[in-house]
Amino acid sequence: MKKYIQITLTFNPPNIEIVSELLWQLELNGITEIDNGLIIYCDIENIDISKKIIEIMDKAEKEKIIETYLLNEEILEDKNWNAEYEKNVKVSEIGERIVIKPSFKEYITNDPKKIIITIDPKMSFGTGEHETTKLVLTLLEKYVRKNYKILDVGSGTGILAIASVMLGADHAIAIDNDEWCLLNGGENVKLNNLELKVDIRLGEINDVAEDNFEIVTANINKHILTDISDQLVFKMKNTGVLILSGILDSDENDILQTYTKHPVILIDRLQMNEWIALVFKHS
Amino acid sequence: MAKKVDSFIKLQIPAGQANPSPPVGPALGQKGVNIMEFCKQFNARTSDKQGLIIPVVITVYTDKSFTFITKTPPAAVLLKKIINIERGSAEPNKTKVAKVSKSQLKEIAEIKMPDLNAHDVEHAMSMIAGTARSMGITVEE
Repeated sequence: MKKYIQITLTFNPPNIEIVSELLWQLELNGITEIDNGLIIYCDIENIDISKKIIEIMDKAEKEKIIETYLLNEEILEDKNWNAEYEKNVKVSEIGERIVIKPSFKEYITNDPKKIIITIDPKMSFGTGEHETTKLVLTLLEKYVRKNYKILDVGSGTGILAIASVMLGADHAIAIDNDEWCLLNGGENVKLNNLELKVDIRLGEINDVAEDNFEIVTANINKHILTDISDQLVFKMKNTGVLILSGILDSDENDILQTYTKHPVILIDRLQMNEWIALVFKHS
Repeated sequence: MAKKVDSFIKLQIPAGQANPSPPVGPALGQKGVNIMEFCKQFNARTSDKQGLIIPVVITVYTDKSFTFITKTPPAAVLLKKIINIERGSAEPNKTKVAKVSKSQLKEIAEIKMPDLNAHDVEHAMSMIAGTARSMGITVEE
């Protein structure tokens, strides 16, 4: 499991803005502001970070920005920080048929058309509660057909790949560059008994050798959807569709400008609050 | 009826790159907030500010829902970006690493104005100049 250096820095007077501005000269992962100081995080490889912070704080003392400070360094192990939230995850009913539930909650129905998917999110994105996921699931319900091959890029919990297969697709490849997603996606595939149908991989879209997918999905963000537009369009079969999500409605024109440079046309659009999903096919 | 506020969380994280590792994970996780949902929203709203550090104030409500506002990047980060240096000087009094012009100071001051306790742009420029000097950046007269 990955480790981080956590440095708790308290100082008096608590000139938090000035001190944090000085500290951002260093390579940090991020800062949490507390009442009397800052908690600073960086990668474990940054072994001399305390020494560098002390140099900055000593100088701040000399310049009377602060009068005194205390520094405490700890090693922090990565873990499932989302555990507290997970306790409150609810069952979500999406579209006409899809039900998403955590493993510790029951969902009983007499409706044989319902598809019940078990997802424990842990540290990956895709609980079924967020608008961006709901939009893609609704579109998958509309577009998935039997024997389809599906590619999901930025797969998180694996929810879209799992749902695709449960809606009738032959198999799905789910790829994400976050190690948590490999671990957590694999767990979710097992929870739904789909080990032979859903292939969870660690990597980028360029690492996927297969192509000609009937459906390609990517629920990420504008920045990445723009960067990988070539590859997403390339992976789609001539008669296939590309479903994009993770887009704010204010960014719709930017995404359309990027994708209409490729030989594709917009054929569908869904919106939920400020989030939109767009569906393209080859022109 | 307005939702009841449980707490405020203040973080400083790179634009478009929020992820569930620290500081986001520990800070939001202990409040039972959906970390991944925050990351998704933060990254979508800041994806145009790649390379900058964004201070964010997250309001957590008693029902575990949240809202957030973003602020302007720290002056040190803006200075590094605008004058194109990777880091400040380890010995700012002795070793100078770069120069910043008045027009560059003004550009940064105008970005920072909404979050600075400054009377006007001139006052904000003097505050940014102080940060620049502490980084070993010479302020051109």
